[in-house]
Amino acid sequence: MRYENIQILVLSTAALFILVTGFIIYFVILYRNKQIRNEQEKEQLQGRYRQEMLRAQIEMQEQTLTNISREIHDNISQVLSFVKLDLALTDGMAEPEKQQKVNNSRELLSQTINDLRNLSKSLSFEYIAVNGLVKTIETEVERVNNSGLLHLSISIEGASYSLGAQRELVLFRIFQEALNNTLKHGSAEHLKISLHYFDQLFNLTLEDDGAGFSTELSENQSGSGLKNMENRAALIGAVATIKSSPGNGCRIKVTLNPQEEQIYADGTYPNSPG
Amino acid sequence: MFIIIHTSEILMLIVVIIGITRYGRLNTPFKILALSTIANLVIDILSDIFNAKYKNNASILHVEAITEFIFFSLVFYYLFTSQITKKVITVLIIAASVFSVINALFLQPFHTVFPTYVNLPTLALLVIFSLLLFKQMLLSPLTTPLLKQGVFWFNTAIIFYGTTMFLNIGLSNVYIKNPSTDYLIFYFWYIILYIFTILIGIALLTDDKEINSTNAL
Repeated sequence: MRYENIQILVLSTAALFILVTGFIIYFVILYRNKQIRNEQEKEQLQGRYRQEMLRAQIEMQEQTLTNISREIHDNISQVLSFVKLDLALTDGMAEPEKQQKVNNSRELLSQTINDLRNLSKSLSFEYIAVNGLVKTIETEVERVNNSGLLHLSISIEGASYSLGAQRELVLFRIFQEALNNTLKHGSAEHLKISLHYFDQLFNLTLEDDGAGFSTELSENQSGSGLKNMENRAALIGAVATIKSSPGNGCRIKVTLNPQEEQIYADGTYPNSPG
Repeated sequence: MFIIIHTSEILMLIVVIIGITRYGRLNTPFKILALSTIANLVIDILSDIFNAKYKNNASILHVEAITEFIFFSLVFYYLFTSQITKKVITVLIIAASVFSVINALFLQPFHTVFPTYVNLPTLALLVIFSLLLFKQMLLSPLTTPLLKQGVFWFNTAIIFYGTTMFLNIGLSNVYIKNPSTDYLIFYFWYIILYIFTILIGIALLTDDKEINSTNAL
């Protein structure tokens, strides 16, 4: 083999060497850029997640305040006015009648104190975090049933377990939104709530016997409550399906796999304490 | 020349020690890589013995060519996530092994000729695996800095080795017939070998199953 040929061989190998070095440097830069871009996307996702959680909390607080205000206006203030009026009428009454009125008023006041106590247990984020989804929904069921606006029934299948405070907050917010829709638009008499706790499946189903609506029409209304429910469900790795048609009530089903280790955008796990 | 050859073996020995001491902390592909360094060192020593005794190490190189390909392909097998690629690698390992035997018996007799018919396609395949792995890494980057990923150093080692050794190994049967011309090649060969061994050493040092799991961003 001639010396020139060897030189060519060495030069070609050296050229390959340089080429590969260049490729590696290019790859390192490309990889770093991709890492930065992914980190930025992750931060954006985290931001969106935090905003959504905050919005869910604010909406829940607003809902709670509306409930409290309605309760004070429709129930407590009415009862107190009645008691005031009743006691005012006792002037000049005979002692046994007076005593009867006082006893009635005492009973009404006792009932009002009870209502106020229930109201104080009203639905805050902390309440869900401490008592869990089942207890919180049961409290809400009791409150609505007492109001007489709608008859709610709840059934729980399987042994309930914690889904994590954040997931439960979002699920409760979906429940609240569905309940509100039923109260406002559904002209329903009954709302059936089912919670299914299985090993790899959790279901929250809400069925009412109201007027129903066309899901096709509501899908076109962007930013509607139904769309909100779907988006919120997606946020916690769940799927919300809404079925309804005019005259046939409405059925909302939220399904999620509790064992799925879906990391939240903020880096926490769904089954973390919150 | 003596120093150059033995420096290479010392480097190999260091890498083997790294592989053994860190074996428990390595991910499966890097455990295979650690085993491959041991096999490589043994083959290298045997090669020296054959060279000294028979003035020909071709038979050892026949064994080296196929074991090297099997070990590195297995490393790639565990690093790839695509099931199709894994199947292709399995088929290629079997095909290369069969061809290696046929080559040693009929095409390039194992006791006289270097196994370039095995080396050339297997090196080309390793370069292709390496490029595919670079592509996979780009598609799903990890949060761990690139320079702390064993897979990056292993892949870099393979692409360096595969591309630069390609010509040298391919022409090794020509050099043997022209011993006066191979000094330059000899030095070049060992430079590549040093770089390759160091890169494999870094790969074994940086890989850690507790840190470098496949936690894509």
